[in-house]
Amino acid sequence: MSDVAQMPGNQNSGNAAAISTEKLTRRFGDLVAVNDVNLRVAPGQFFGFLGPNGAGKSTTIKMLTGLLAPTSGRIEILGLDFGDRTTDVKRQIGVVPEGLALFGRLTGAEYLTFVGRMYGLDRETTAKRTAELLEFMQLANEPRKLVTDYSHGMQKKLALAAAVIHGPKILFLDEPFEGVDAIAAGTLKSMLQRMIARGATIFLTSHVLEIVERLCSHVAIIDRGTLVAQGSLEELRAGVAAQAPGALESEGKWTLEDIFLRTVGGARSPEQELSWLG
Amino acid sequence: MAGIAASRESRGQLAAIARVRWQVFTHSLRSKRGTLELFSRIVIGVVITCGGLGGAVLLGVAAWYFVSNAKPEALALLLWPVFLFWQLFPVMATALSESIDSSNLLRFPLSYPAYVLVRIVYGALDPATVLGTFWLVGITLGIGWARPSLMPWAAIVLLVFAVVNMLLTQMIFAWVDRWLGQRRTREIFAVLFFLAMISLQLVGPVLSRYGDRSNAAIHWAGRFANPVQAVLPPGIAAGALASKAASQTSHYSVFLGALVLYAIVILRILSVRLRAQFRGENLSEVPGRSAEPDSRPSVRLAWSIPGLSRESSAVVEKEFRYLSRSGPVLLTLVTPIVMLFVFGLGGRAGRDAGFLQNWPELGLPVGAAYSLLLLTNLIYNNFGPDAGGIQFFLVSPASFRSVMVGKNVAHMGILALELVALCIGVSLLFHPPTAAALLLTLSGLLFAAPVNLAAGNLLSLYSPKKTEFGTFGRQRASQTTVLASFAIQGLVFGVAALTLLTARHYGRRWLSVVAFFALAVIAFAMYFFVLTRVDRVAARRREVLATELCQ
Repeated sequence: MSDVAQMPGNQNSGNAAAISTEKLTRRFGDLVAVNDVNLRVAPGQFFGFLGPNGAGKSTTIKMLTGLLAPTSGRIEILGLDFGDRTTDVKRQIGVVPEGLALFGRLTGAEYLTFVGRMYGLDRETTAKRTAELLEFMQLANEPRKLVTDYSHGMQKKLALAAAVIHGPKILFLDEPFEGVDAIAAGTLKSMLQRMIARGATIFLTSHVLEIVERLCSHVAIIDRGTLVAQGSLEELRAGVAAQAPGALESEGKWTLEDIFLRTVGGARSPEQELSWLG
Repeated sequence: MAGIAASRESRGQLAAIARVRWQVFTHSLRSKRGTLELFSRIVIGVVITCGGLGGAVLLGVAAWYFVSNAKPEALALLLWPVFLFWQLFPVMATALSESIDSSNLLRFPLSYPAYVLVRIVYGALDPATVLGTFWLVGITLGIGWARPSLMPWAAIVLLVFAVVNMLLTQMIFAWVDRWLGQRRTREIFAVLFFLAMISLQLVGPVLSRYGDRSNAAIHWAGRFANPVQAVLPPGIAAGALASKAASQTSHYSVFLGALVLYAIVILRILSVRLRAQFRGENLSEVPGRSAEPDSRPSVRLAWSIPGLSRESSAVVEKEFRYLSRSGPVLLTLVTPIVMLFVFGLGGRAGRDAGFLQNWPELGLPVGAAYSLLLLTNLIYNNFGPDAGGIQFFLVSPASFRSVMVGKNVAHMGILALELVALCIGVSLLFHPPTAAALLLTLSGLLFAAPVNLAAGNLLSLYSPKKTEFGTFGRQRASQTTVLASFAIQGLVFGVAALTLLTARHYGRRWLSVVAFFALAVIAFAMYFFVLTRVDRVAARRREVLATELCQ
C-alpha cells in the first residue's frame, strides 16, 4: 500500500466493520487479479472503490457479493464470515452487479415481485414495496412493458429497486451510473442518499470521479490488484498534499481526480500520430 | 467502379466474419469445456453423417430402381419425404438447430446483399440441411447409376431443389419468429393454429366415412392430391427429372424454371423479414406508446403454491410468465398434440391404417413420452433462458435447491397440462384412455421424469448455455448436453422397452406397471440425492455459470 494509505488516521475507528477483508486474493491462472487486499468499511459509510480499467475493482466486488470465489483470504460482512454464513450474509446485502441480473421477459412489477419473494418477503409486503419502488423510480407509467424493452437507464433503476426491496444493510453497486442520463442518475442518487440517511452502508465502484467525490465519504483505490489508498476524502487529500507540497497548480483543494491520477500514476500515454483521424 | 469497390469491401467483411467465428471456435478449445464441446460435436457429427449416409444409400437405391424400371415420375415419392423432413425437423428438434444473432452485424457498414448472404450461409449450417444434402446426393448418384446421361441434369435440378429447401426453412423460421414475437400477432397465430387443428380433426371422420366405399375415396384423394403435389417443389423437381428421362428437354426447362421461380419467390418473401431486421427492427412486446400513460393497476400478489417455499413458488410463477411470452417454445410444446392428431387420422383399423388406428391405446403413452422428450429442451438447460438473471440467483439468499425445485415443478406442471390435453385428444380421436393405459403412462412417467429432472439439474449447472425463448433458432443447448441427452434417453427408453417386453413375454401387463413403480422409487431417490448436491455444485461452478450465461 502506498504512503497515502499508510497515513495516520487512515484506519476506521469503529470496531465492527460493515465490510472487512483480510488478504483477499484472486488468481486467474498466472494472473493475480486481486492481491492481498485488506479493506475495511465502517457501518454507515458511503464508500467509493476506484481504480483504472483492469485494476481488480469488479473482481473484488464480485468476491464481496458471492459471484466469485476468492483464491485465498477472508471476507467478513457485518461481522459474519462470508464463507461460513453465506446465506445469512446474502440476506443482509443488496447487489447491483455489472450485468444488472435482470429477467428480460418479465415486466418491472413482476420482476420486483419475484425478487421480493426470493428474499423471503411475504406477499403483501412484496406487493406494497413493489408499488412504492416503481413509483419512486418513475417506472410505474408503463406497467405492461417488459424489462427487455426498458431503456438502459430504466434497467439500472429497476436493478437498484430490486437490490433494495428487502431493506439491505449494505448495498453493493458496480458502476451504477454508467450509461445513465442526468435524470435517471438524479433518481438513483436520491435513493442512495435516503439509504445512507437511514444508516445503510453503500459500496460502489465507478469511473465517474465527480459523482464519487460528491457522494462518497470514504474511498479506496486499487491498482494492478493491490490496494494503494484507503481512507476518507480528507485523509487522502492530506496524504497527497503531504507527499507533494506545492504540486497543486490551481488554487483550492485537491480533487478526487488529482488524487486518483497521482496515486495510480496516471501518466498520459505518448501522443500517437493517428494522422488518419484527420 | 464503386460497385467493384463495394464488392471488394463485402468480400473483406465476409472473410472477417468467417475469421472471427473461426477464432471464437479455436479460443473455445482452450478450456476443458470447449474441448468437451468439440468432442460432443464430433460424436453428434458422426451420428448425423451415418444417418445421412444410410439415408443416401437407401434413397440412391430407390432412385436407381425407379429410373431403371422407367418410373422416373415416382421419384416424387423420394423427394417428398426429404422435403418434409427438411422443413419439419428444425421445428421438432430445436435443440439441434441454431440461427445466428445477426443484430451485432448491424453496426458495421455491411451491405444488404452481404448481410443476406451471411444470414443464409450460417442459417444453412444445421442438421436438416446436412442430412437433406446427403440424401439428395444419394438420389443423384442413384439416378446416375441407372442412367449416367441423366446425372448432370438431375444434379442441376436437385441443386436448385436443395436451395429451395434451404431458403424455405429459413423463410418459415423468420416469419414464425415474427408472428410469435409480439402478443397481438401471437394471438392471431394461435387462433389460426387452433383452426388448423380442428380442420385436421375433421379429416379423420371424412376419411372414415368414405373409407367404406372400397378404394374409390383413395383414388379420388389421389386424383385430387396428385395435381397439387405436382405444382409444389418436390413434384416439380420429380417432373423435371421425368421429362428429361423422356428426352423432353423443353419440358425439363419449364420445370426447372418453375423451381427457380420458387426459389426467387421464397427469397423475396424471406427478404421482407431480413430487410426489416437489417433496418434494426426490434420486436418489442409492448404496444406503441400512447399519449396518455397507462392506468396504473395495483401490483398483483405473488403466487403462493401450497407445499412449496416462497422461493420455489416465485420461480414457478416466473417460469410460467416466461413461457407464456415465448411463442416458439409454446409451439414446440404443443407438437405432441399435433402429432397425435396427425397420426390419429385416417380410416378404420386394418392393414392400411396408421399406427395409432391399430393401437389407439398407445396414443397416450407414446404422446406422453414424446412430450417429456420435448420438455428436455427446457429441463436440460434450466438457466439458459434466464441469461444474465443467473447473477441474481448467485447473489440472492435463496438456495439453488429451492430454485431447481421451482423450475422442476413448473416443468412438471407443463407435462401435466400436456397429459390432460393428450387425454382429451385421445378421447376425441378414439375413446377415453383405458385405466390400464393411464396407469402404464403415469407409472412410466414416474420413472422417466425424475431421471430426466436429476440429469437436467446437473447438466444445467455443468453445461449451461444462454438461450432465447422468443426466437426459434436460439434455443439450442450445448453440444455436450445434446450428447448427454442421447445417452440418457437411450437408457430411459431402453429400460422402459425392456420392462414392457418382459411383461408382454410373461403375458402380464400389470407387471410393467409394478416394475415402473419400483424403478420410480430408485429414480426419485436419485433425484433427491442430486437435489442435495446442487447448492455445492452451483457454488463451485458459479464462475462458469456467470460467464456462459451473461455473455
